[in-house]
Amino acid sequence: MTPRRRFLSALYGGRVDKVPAMTLSSVITLEAMETTDAWFPEAHLDAEKMARLAATAYEELGLDTIMPVFHSQLEADALDAATWWGTVDNWPATSDHVLTDPEDFKIPSDYLKRPSFEAVLGAIRLLRKRYPDVGIVGKVYGPWSVGYHLVGIENYLMDTILDPDKIRRYLEVMLPACMMSAHAQLEAGADAIMWADHANRELVSPETYRDFLLEMHKQVTVEMGGPSIFHCCGETTDRIDYFAEAGWDCFHFESQVDPHVAKQITGDRMSLMGNINNPTTLFSGTYDDTYQACMKVLEAGVNGIAPEGSVPLGTKMEVLRALTDSARDYSDAHRPDGRLVAHREPPDDSTR
Amino acid sequence: MPELSDIANQFIREEIEEFIELPEEIERNITLFSRASPLMQDIAAALIDGDMTTVDRLTRQALDQGVGALEIMDDGLIAGMGIVGIKFREGYVFVPEVLISARAMKAGMAHIEPILAASGVEPIGTVIMGTVQGDLHDIGKNLCIMLLRGGGFTVIDLGVNTKPDEFIAAVRENDAHIIGMSALLTTTMPNMARTVEAFKDAGLREGVRFMVGGAPVTPEFGRDVGADGYGKDALACVELAKKLAVEVC
Repeated sequence: MTPRRRFLSALYGGRVDKVPAMTLSSVITLEAMETTDAWFPEAHLDAEKMARLAATAYEELGLDTIMPVFHSQLEADALDAATWWGTVDNWPATSDHVLTDPEDFKIPSDYLKRPSFEAVLGAIRLLRKRYPDVGIVGKVYGPWSVGYHLVGIENYLMDTILDPDKIRRYLEVMLPACMMSAHAQLEAGADAIMWADHANRELVSPETYRDFLLEMHKQVTVEMGGPSIFHCCGETTDRIDYFAEAGWDCFHFESQVDPHVAKQITGDRMSLMGNINNPTTLFSGTYDDTYQACMKVLEAGVNGIAPEGSVPLGTKMEVLRALTDSARDYSDAHRPDGRLVAHREPPDDSTR
Repeated sequence: MPELSDIANQFIREEIEEFIELPEEIERNITLFSRASPLMQDIAAALIDGDMTTVDRLTRQALDQGVGALEIMDDGLIAGMGIVGIKFREGYVFVPEVLISARAMKAGMAHIEPILAASGVEPIGTVIMGTVQGDLHDIGKNLCIMLLRGGGFTVIDLGVNTKPDEFIAAVRENDAHIIGMSALLTTTMPNMARTVEAFKDAGLREGVRFMVGGAPVTPEFGRDVGADGYGKDALACVELAKKLAVEVC
């Protein structure tokens, strides 16, 4: 199988020759920047540098996917949020919030021509051409997360209680901008879109996801026009069932979630990918620590392993290579009659 | 031994009954509220309910009636926020509810703080708080600051995207001994370690204590970066600061 077929098959919960090891968020490190001579922050706004840097996921780490949207500012910046593009060792962020009334929100006529989009769409086109057999993943921040950027997270969250209709209106007006981003990235050559809406437990209740986002996400998964991966940070066990109900093809989940429990909740309704801890395992740990951690997650029957989110820039590439090695070794060990038997039923809770 | 029925305010009674499970916390809150005046209970109830306007009005009313600023802060505002903190910890409420209660607390503290500052009450210590370099998230940090101030600390807020040098300068300038670092992103958490290292390089590490917190931060990560303590939430942050203050303030 090519990495692209392996990734897409796993994404839909299908047969694979080996469990894919992937990047669905950023695996860019300072080492990768040095290797490619493509550096932050220039690489955020330069298609060639972005493509070169992103390709290290496949070229240097042997992963099955490449993901060129390193930051979380793509839509917000093109929607006139004040963006600080960071430094070589710091990530971009929104430095000021511009919106107080959903009726003031407008999608600029040149939205998809803004520098942040030109770079990302250009990079996806280059990567598609250079790596026809590798999975290319696009990334979209959904209207809930774009709302954090444009409105400011405190005001946004308080209004979920003080003025819920205002939040619904924000979501309604921002959704088309997010869909445009998804469609443009798919059209440029992305195989799948990772859609992030951070309605996580550290911030809001599962009922908040249900009441504000569930119906909208059902619409998104139908209208996206390509494979969909949902990302929500943190401990999401209490809302994974809603994510599956929304119709996402896959959930990219973090290490706070027990992968066995996640598998029990989702069953075959939605694939699971990710779950490798960033700060303790990938950043502070060794190759061996990471290899062992990956094996545990693979044993839980996930459809693919990947860092839980964007890795810290100081993470060592040697450590990241444990993702690929563990997926290969696990798959080799689970092919008793020539066919991978990786996605078996999750073990009974009581036996763990 | 006071009983739940000794608390005049029905809303407070119901909150304790419905949301507090640990026996020691039930006992502490019953003791606290049963000795608090009905007006202080009303302030606490309004704060728990996130009613900023009522907290503002009742705080002014209490001060006009001659109630001491410390009493209003302890028996009204902090007592109310204590229940909010327990509900947050146990997953009964989430950040939006806490933010709304914190906003109500701020409305009350706006009347209290100038009086406390003028009265010359000695703070427990000075805490330097900041979100680490590269990270612009500050909800958690701001909640900690509010409760630390309510808990008797002077707090210097360095805001977001705080470089190690800025923490060092603030410690020197304010003769502070406790530093609180917050991070929301796994990509910026390593900057906690950089800050601790910078204090070592500057020869200041021995004289200060580091607290760390933030959604992705764990006690293990805190130990790895050389911090002296980890706070799961704003209430834990205040408890930790009090513990560390005994060592260095």
